[in-house]
Amino acid sequence: PCRAQPKKKKKVDVKKEQAQKERMKKKLKKLEKAAPELIPIEDFITPLKYSESNRVRSLPTLSPEETERRVLLLKKWCLFKQKQDEAEKKAIKALVESQQEALKELRLESEELYEAAIRRDEGLFPFEREGPSYTPPLPGYDPPEGKCIDITKVYTQ
Amino acid sequence: SAAARRPWRLFGAMCLLRLPRITQPLEKEEEEMVALMEQIELEKSCYSDHEIRKLEEEEQLKRKKESLYDEDEARGKTVIMAQDLEEKWEQKFLQFKAAPRVTDADKSNDRKSLNRKLDSNLMLLVKQKIGNQELWLLPQVEWQPGETLRSTAERAMATFLGDHIQAKVLGNAPYGIYKYKFPRAIRTENNMGAKVFFFKAFLQSSDLSQADLKADYLWVTKKELGEYLKTEYLKKVNRFLLD
Repeated sequence: PCRAQPKKKKKVDVKKEQAQKERMKKKLKKLEKAAPELIPIEDFITPLKYSESNRVRSLPTLSPEETERRVLLLKKWCLFKQKQDEAEKKAIKALVESQQEALKELRLESEELYEAAIRRDEGLFPFEREGPSYTPPLPGYDPPEGKCIDITKVYTQ
Repeated sequence: SAAARRPWRLFGAMCLLRLPRITQPLEKEEEEMVALMEQIELEKSCYSDHEIRKLEEEEQLKRKKESLYDEDEARGKTVIMAQDLEEKWEQKFLQFKAAPRVTDADKSNDRKSLNRKLDSNLMLLVKQKIGNQELWLLPQVEWQPGETLRSTAERAMATFLGDHIQAKVLGNAPYGIYKYKFPRAIRTENNMGAKVFFFKAFLQSSDLSQADLKADYLWVTKKELGEYLKTEYLKKVNRFLLD
């Protein structure tokens, strides 16, 4: 009699614990199945303080001559950009033609050299270069000291 | 077949480019467009914190002049005004002197210097003896059996600039070709003329003090090439040079 009762208790406890664990697992599964919360894009949300009315700039309205001038300028710009683009494309075409001609002549000379020429150059890419700036670098310039502390918020899903 | 004697002699030439260091000046249309874009951006924008502060302080100043209750408002207000800050920043900006875009080499038209024409590509030209003429050409040497044409061009570069030159050759394929026949005096069945294959490279280091320049050399822009190169040669070279 002393032995039987504790055993029953243990069994019942174990069963209860197992049932509890299964309930917890089901809850976890339900939570995981729910779609993950989207990370907010901070650039697209305007903070509320910028929608206040005192923030609106007061400028004189545009005269019809001004709008006319702007429209004509935009049309001129369109033409300018089109000509620039055409010139670029023509230059690239000339480049490609020149290269094709060179390769054709090379092939006539020697097959071996031609094969060496059309092989891919593995060391070429990735090609990195710093672009031009407005003024050339000042020799002996000592930039002011300072530390840059990054305060961007990082979201985890 | 490689064994048969070809009548054309092969040369590899290197077009070494020093890339621009500063931006090119804007065209008239571009400048007008920049002004318009700035105006539109200003019109569509709202006041920033700094501007609001400036407006409020201007209001305060006006009220101080009209009536005399500045005692109450001056309590707890900062001494520095937004206008003062702006003037301080302006002073600091004026103290800084950037390097000039038009360098001394530009003014003296020193064509041997790499500091000239910082907004365009500069190409290396060397004076070489071809036959019995001294000509201005892109550095070239004759191809030797056993090497690829790219190595010939690299050897040409090393011959004229020394071994310590840092240049990125753009690929294994030639960019252009110049074919010419030898004058009748030396032309034979087996030696009709020469084919010069051009390769392009970008100069990586701007410091050429280590370079051992053996021959007469110049660094010129695409527009100035016409002053040195012969017409036919120039025509072929211009095809693979982007301005």
